[in-house]
Amino acid sequence: MTPTAALWISIVLGACAQVFLKRGVSPEGGTPPSGLALLRSRWVLAWGASFVIATGLWLVGLSRMEISYAFPLLSMGYPIVAVLSMLFLKERVTPARWIAILIITAGVAIIWRTA
Amino acid sequence: MSADAITQNPGVTPGVEKKAFAVRLSWQWAAFGAIALAACGHLLIKLGLSSAAHHAALSGLADKVSLYLFHSALPLGLAVYGIGTLLWIKAVSSRNISFLYPLTALNYVIVSIGGKLFFNETISTGRWIGIAVVVLGVALLQRSVKEDQP
Repeated sequence: MTPTAALWISIVLGACAQVFLKRGVSPEGGTPPSGLALLRSRWVLAWGASFVIATGLWLVGLSRMEISYAFPLLSMGYPIVAVLSMLFLKERVTPARWIAILIITAGVAIIWRTA
Repeated sequence: MSADAITQNPGVTPGVEKKAFAVRLSWQWAAFGAIALAACGHLLIKLGLSSAAHHAALSGLADKVSLYLFHSALPLGLAVYGIGTLLWIKAVSSRNISFLYPLTALNYVIVSIGGKLFFNETISTGRWIGIAVVVLGVALLQRSVKEDQP
C-alpha cells in the first residue's frame, strides 16, 4: 500500500467511525443503548475497530510522508462525515451548514499547511 | 390566534420551553467538554512524553518505562482523553453528527494556544489565520443547529 493510499483510507475510515458511532447510539427505531449496553452494540464496536485501524494506517502513512502534505488531509474528514451522514443516517445538511463545514475545512487545512 | 391555540402549541408553553433549554445545555456541555478534554489530554500526553524523554536520558530502560507509565503526565493525559471520549458519546447521542463532528476542529485551536502558553511554541501568522477561519466556521455552524430535528 502506498503512503498516500494509507492516509486516504485512514481519513475515510475515521469518518465512517463517527457515522457508526452515531448509528450505534441513535438506532433507527428501538431504544438507544446506554452505559455498558453500548459495548454490546455492533455499531459501537465497529466505531472502536475503525478508530483503531484508522489510527494505525495514519501512523503508517505519516511515517513515510511529508507532514505538510499529510496533516492538511485531516480537514477532509468534515465534508466526508457530512456526505456519509446524508447517505446513511438521512441527516439533512442545509446549504448554511455546508458553508460552515467548508469554512472549517479550509481553516484546518490552513492551520496544518502553515504549521 | 386564540388563547386556546397558544396553549395547544407545545412550543410556547413555559414547561416545554424550560425542558428544551435543559436539553440544549446538556449537549453543549457534553460536546464542548469532550473537545476541551481531548485537547487537555493531548497537551498532558505531550507534557508526559517530553518530561519522560528529559529524565530518560539519565536512566536505564526500567526507569524509562516506569517514568512513562507512572511518574509522568502520560497516564493522566490518557485518562482525561478517555473521559472526553465518554462525553463525546453522550453528545453524539443527542445531536446530528454532521453538526457535531466539524466542532472538533476547535481541538486544533485549543492545542495550538495551549502549546503556546505551556510549551512556548510559536504560532505563525498563517496558523493564526487558520485558527480565525475555524472559529468563524464554528460560529456559523452553531447557527445551523436550530435546523435539526432533536
